[in-house]
Amino acid sequence: MIGIYLHIPYCRTLCPYCDFVRNPIDGAVPQRFVDAVCGEIAAFEGPDKAGTVFFGGGTPSLLAPASLERILAAVGERFVLEEPEVSIEANPDDVRGGLADAWRALGVTRVSLGVQSFDDGVLGYLGRRHDAATARQACGAVAERFDNWGMDLIFGAQPVDAWDATLAECAALAPKHVSVYGLTYEAATPFAARAGDAVDDDTYLELYWRAEAHLAGFEHYEVSNYAQPGRECRHNLIYWNNLEYAGFGPGAYSFVGGIRARNPVALNDYLAHPGGKCEALRLSDAEVRTETLIQHFRLAAGIRKAAYAERFGRAIHEDYGHALDGLVARGLIEEDREEFRPTRRGFELNNEIGLALVHEGGEPRAIASEA
Amino acid sequence: MTTPIERIRNFCIIAHVDHGKSTLADRLLQETGAVDERNLKEQTLDTMDIERERGITIKSVAVRLNYRAQDGHDYVLNLIDTPGHVDFSYEVSRSLAACEGALLLVDAAQGVEAQTLANAYKAIEQDLEIIPVINKIDLPGADIDSTRRQIHDIIGLDADKAIMASAKAGKGTREVLEAVVERVPQPRGERTGPLRALIFDAVYNSYRGVIVYVRVKEGRLAKGMKILMMSTGRRHEVAELGVLTPGATPTDSLEAGEVGYLICNIKSLKNTKIGDTVTEAQRPAPKPLPGYEEAQSVVFCGLYPAVATDYEELRDALERLQLNDASFHFQADSSDALGLGYRLGFLGLLHMEIVQERLEREFDLTLVTTVPNVAYRVVGLDGQERTVENASKMPGPAEIQRIEEPYIEAEIICPTEYLSPVIELCKKKRGIHVRVDYLDARRCLAVYQMPLAEIVLDFYDKLKTCTRGYGSLEYRLIDYRPGDLVKLDILLNGEPVDALSSIVHRDRAEWTGRTLASRLRKLIPRQQFEVAIQAAIGSRILVRETVKPMRKNVTAKCYGGDITRKRKLLERQKEGKRRMKQVGTVEVPQEAFMALLRVGDEQER
Ligand SMILES: Nc1nc2c(ncn2[C@@H]2O[C@H](COP(=O)(O)OP(=O)(O)OP(=O)(O)O)[C@@H](O)[C@H]2O)c(=O)[nH]1
Ligand code: SF4
Ligand SMILES: [Mg+2]
Repeated sequence: MIGIYLHIPYCRTLCPYCDFVRNPIDGAVPQRFVDAVCGEIAAFEGPDKAGTVFFGGGTPSLLAPASLERILAAVGERFVLEEPEVSIEANPDDVRGGLADAWRALGVTRVSLGVQSFDDGVLGYLGRRHDAATARQACGAVAERFDNWGMDLIFGAQPVDAWDATLAECAALAPKHVSVYGLTYEAATPFAARAGDAVDDDTYLELYWRAEAHLAGFEHYEVSNYAQPGRECRHNLIYWNNLEYAGFGPGAYSFVGGIRARNPVALNDYLAHPGGKCEALRLSDAEVRTETLIQHFRLAAGIRKAAYAERFGRAIHEDYGHALDGLVARGLIEEDREEFRPTRRGFELNNEIGLALVHEGGEPRAIASEA
Repeated sequence: MTTPIERIRNFCIIAHVDHGKSTLADRLLQETGAVDERNLKEQTLDTMDIERERGITIKSVAVRLNYRAQDGHDYVLNLIDTPGHVDFSYEVSRSLAACEGALLLVDAAQGVEAQTLANAYKAIEQDLEIIPVINKIDLPGADIDSTRRQIHDIIGLDADKAIMASAKAGKGTREVLEAVVERVPQPRGERTGPLRALIFDAVYNSYRGVIVYVRVKEGRLAKGMKILMMSTGRRHEVAELGVLTPGATPTDSLEAGEVGYLICNIKSLKNTKIGDTVTEAQRPAPKPLPGYEEAQSVVFCGLYPAVATDYEELRDALERLQLNDASFHFQADSSDALGLGYRLGFLGLLHMEIVQERLEREFDLTLVTTVPNVAYRVVGLDGQERTVENASKMPGPAEIQRIEEPYIEAEIICPTEYLSPVIELCKKKRGIHVRVDYLDARRCLAVYQMPLAEIVLDFYDKLKTCTRGYGSLEYRLIDYRPGDLVKLDILLNGEPVDALSSIVHRDRAEWTGRTLASRLRKLIPRQQFEVAIQAAIGSRILVRETVKPMRKNVTAKCYGGDITRKRKLLERQKEGKRRMKQVGTVEVPQEAFMALLRVGDEQER
């Protein structure tokens, strides 16, 4: 079973901190694009069974219900869906009761709202097109119609002290899922010029852990993600378990049959050849193993030794013993009989875990196979 | 066809750095047609990448020129272009031994400088005919009369017959060639006697093995001849020999008086000694030629492979490079912090930089270098004396009577208006005034004795700064003298790091310790745990600095395709980390081991 990702690369306004693949648009998503995506799906070569469908962006809530229907129909044509999780990301500005009703009717099971903040100052700083009142309305409209809904929040944006109130309001609305991202000042965005605003590391971590304090009853199941028990995003878990998925739309990645491939990023390139790839990389076994571990250590649950052995046919210690022991000694992960899990420091210094793992597990074997 | 000995002239070009030797060589190559116009570039003979990038000559180069002189005869002129930088003066001495004459170039705008004097004296000592050439007369600042006077008054040469030249504009080239033919004596040497040829240089070529450059002093060297290297006792057969025009051009023989190259399947790199005498195995000469004094190392540093597994490769590279540059020495060494490596001795700081750079560049190695130091002499409690070339190997104060350090005598030539800052600088460097000579109305020569350690680090740069570039320096070792010296240790998280130890004068220890610790704080990246940096003399801690721990290093989002990009990024970071040295629990970047070098730049007190 694979996951299906659909990238809707349009936004009504372009947020100045964002480095996703997106293009400005005034009205609804053009038919030409919908045609292209449907064509790409139909032509997909690979597994037939899928368990999750995820509309991401860009702004999928700019899809007219008819377009959404066409794409879902194309997915249904090509794949056998088994009790699928069908998620859509939505901009609070776009959410009206009618639209949410349409989503339900079309089989969407999960809605994720790009709230970011309940503070107008922060939303202004981020250059979002919605305000706090709109966000509240959207949450209400979605909560009424969907049991499984969530929101994204951003911390570290000015004014920084609005964060507590946003968290409190979020907790009160009782979504099932919350993603909490630290604001980054990406190099290729207008925000690069504002990098001086970035909070220092201590403040960043304080804000980061504040979320855990507010979101009682949630599990902090991934570095940046919280969920009520059993409400983890199944689609994103595919990424963190490094399992297979097919991506459609410009810039979307796929990982099927050991090949990590990407669709052309520029909209025109994509529209000219839906299904073409701008990069395709066959990963070595060692690379897959390392990536799998790196991803697993973003999850609070870490990795089960038995799961590793089952997937790769050997004990995790044989491949990564040295690195894992070092990480345990540094207090970044902990080990028990069943599994390895990141510690709280392991969340804060998550990239250090990755750094310790790269060049480790695979290399001795690669050399041996050359000899 | 062999050239009659009376039609051969062997000469070199000597001067202070940058006075235009290589540029004059270009003109001579051009004028005699040795290099056609297409292949001529600026400083054609500076072929090494480092030479071209830095615009200086590092290695002497020999070329054979064919010249029809005004007397109507065809001459063979063997030219050797030499380096001018003080560190490479041994190259000059070697080249001089292969010649009967020298062109002494003096930049008309700079006048006589320290290496002009030093190299001229070397040529006089070797009894060479010296032809003064006043160069760069095209420069607006050229002062021909004064330069002429300086040549006469300071060096003691007859400057009336000095040739006026502009190597850049091609003025004086013919005059130079004619003067070489007329004034440089023809080589002496019996062509029928037993062979004696001086090895004045050698290079390693990966296809041909060792290529040996020789000056045949007596007898005849021929292809197929069985030869004997007199000092190493090795025997070989001459597989190829020839002349450099400047490309290698094979010939059947080289006669007394000639300069050329020979190849004889020498594969082992250690077995060629520059300065050795080549003779015929069947008919050996009774005595070798005088040969060369061993180049004396004045600065030493540790060299360690950044990746421990490159140790063998480093040894290989050192051996190969040494064939090309016999003037640095190395021996195996080890450090607790840096593992297995080598201790190298150099002729000076520039020489050190160049050897390092060549090792990294030509042999594709990544190296960690420790701060250079001089060799100390330590007198133990039992009165036993030994030499310590590595600061970290200095015994504790309780085990020794005294430390002696090498002293040099420095000769500094500068315009008189800069004399007082020069004296100031020498004083600060613990210099002992010997004398000041006024060379002429505008220039003086200051002679100081001072600890070598004070000049190896940054003296030269400081001298250039305080004289606006007009000061020049020549020095020679004189003796060892007791000094009030202490070993300054650096501790990381409480553990002394041997590779960061240095020997400093007691009065400067505290300041140096402070500066070094603060430099290290900036160089050592944040790590998971706090890093304490301490500078100490024995058990006395002078200063403590801390590198704060890394608080966070996390990517907020990691979905679909991000993972491969992230893995690659981490792999690159890990590559970078590999270049760091793990010292106990601390990762130390390579530059940290050189931090002391730049301590001198800091504002003092
Ligand atoms: N104006 C002028 N510049 C010259 C003349 N001769 C050489 N130069 C310049 O002086 C600089 C140094 O010239 P080189 O020929 O490299 O000097 P060098 O003596 O070989 O230097 P080292 O080998 O490093 O000691 C270069 O920039 C030349 O272009 C000249 O006659 N006139
Ligand atoms: S709406 Fe989302 S995808 Fe579009 S620009 Fe803003 S942050 Fe980026
Ligand atoms: Mg030169």
